[in-house]
Amino acid sequence: MKILIADDEALSRRLLEKTLDRAGYEVVAVEDGKQALEQLCKPNGPRLALLDWIMPEMDGPAVCRAVRARSEQPYVYMVLLTSKGSKEETVLGLESGADDYLTKPFNAEELRARLRVGERILLLEDRLVEARENMRFRATHDQLTSLLNRGAVMDLLVRELHRSHREQKSTAILLGDVDHFKRVNDTLGHLIGDEVLVEIANRLLKSVRSYDFVGRYGGEEFLVVLSNCNPAYAPGRAEEIRKSISNLPLQTAKGPLALTMSFGVLLSSEWGQRPVEELLHEVDIALYEAKAAGRDCLRMAQATAKLEMSPAMVPQAVRRRR
Amino acid sequence: MNNKEERLPEPVWNVAELLERVDNDQDLMRELLTIFKEDFPQSFQSLKTAVTSGDLKGASRLSHTLKGMLSSLGATRAAAAASQLEALSTAGETVTLREALSALESEAERLLPELDAYMPEVRR
Repeated sequence: MKILIADDEALSRRLLEKTLDRAGYEVVAVEDGKQALEQLCKPNGPRLALLDWIMPEMDGPAVCRAVRARSEQPYVYMVLLTSKGSKEETVLGLESGADDYLTKPFNAEELRARLRVGERILLLEDRLVEARENMRFRATHDQLTSLLNRGAVMDLLVRELHRSHREQKSTAILLGDVDHFKRVNDTLGHLIGDEVLVEIANRLLKSVRSYDFVGRYGGEEFLVVLSNCNPAYAPGRAEEIRKSISNLPLQTAKGPLALTMSFGVLLSSEWGQRPVEELLHEVDIALYEAKAAGRDCLRMAQATAKLEMSPAMVPQAVRRRR
Repeated sequence: MNNKEERLPEPVWNVAELLERVDNDQDLMRELLTIFKEDFPQSFQSLKTAVTSGDLKGASRLSHTLKGMLSSLGATRAAAAASQLEALSTAGETVTLREALSALESEAERLLPELDAYMPEVRR
């Protein structure tokens, strides 16, 4: 574990450095407060710090205050080294953001014990951060495929639509559905069905750029959002994405399985500024048309020549299409 | 002078304490003594200048540094003398400051031969 020592006095610094080196720490030693702050602010910098109280440039409490003023950074456990023993000084030191203080000259045994306390606190913090990150991931991702879940992909889509409207660019929305997926589940079982969905999710992800996104929209429905997509190339790119599924049989535990997908495709630039629900409704209609045209193909949502179909009819039509 | 020595009963240099602190590492011991022999005269000279020119802030800072250096080394009595000097210069006790400076100087004069006597042992 990395540890920072800041002390302007060479003899004490060297003694401390060697003591901690022996205790198994990776020691970074500096001689003033400014350098200490620099080290602590580096990415992957030390998260344990022993700071002398009185130092040139910046004293120990000032370093503590500056470190605590940063937000969204990993916690740094800071111990002030002081030869001062008064209660007022101790309080001042702890109020500046230090976690602990040690009186010089220190006892090696006590120093090691106090640093172990610091390590325990840091471990606790790491676990909390990890738990929070896991929760965050679970709240926004589909458990089976690890793609963005419906809520998360919708949020991103809304943001992307605002942006493309503002920048007068186009976002391409692809809504894809696995053809005859029910047959897979019925004949090969749900486990194979799950395998198929995972494999499709991986292929879709691989077929887009890093700044596009893919989400699981429903059971076997996937939403692909191509940000800043030139309308002239959109159909071609959508075809490529579609073929990434049909080109090569999917590998399953019960052997290779040839499957296809149908897609509805919509270019946001052709629709002006519309609510996301409306756009999704339109792309759903295009998907339905692709299904009606015999599946394994894509259909563009046409802003000018809209289908004469009342919106109330569509959900049933969509439900029947599989 | 005799009075002060009684108030500072510790040894001039607590070698045992330092050896424990360095975990009997003779190389480190030599390294620390070398650092001390280089840094101490410099800092002490600066302190002297600060005291004689009435620079209380400088005197306080330098005596603090010396106190840290001396106590890390286990030079208990000299560290106490530096500590006294720091307290006086922080409090602005200019009158007694020179006296405290010479007390530190005489402690240093006792300390240095002890360190020199130890150095050949280290070199072995």
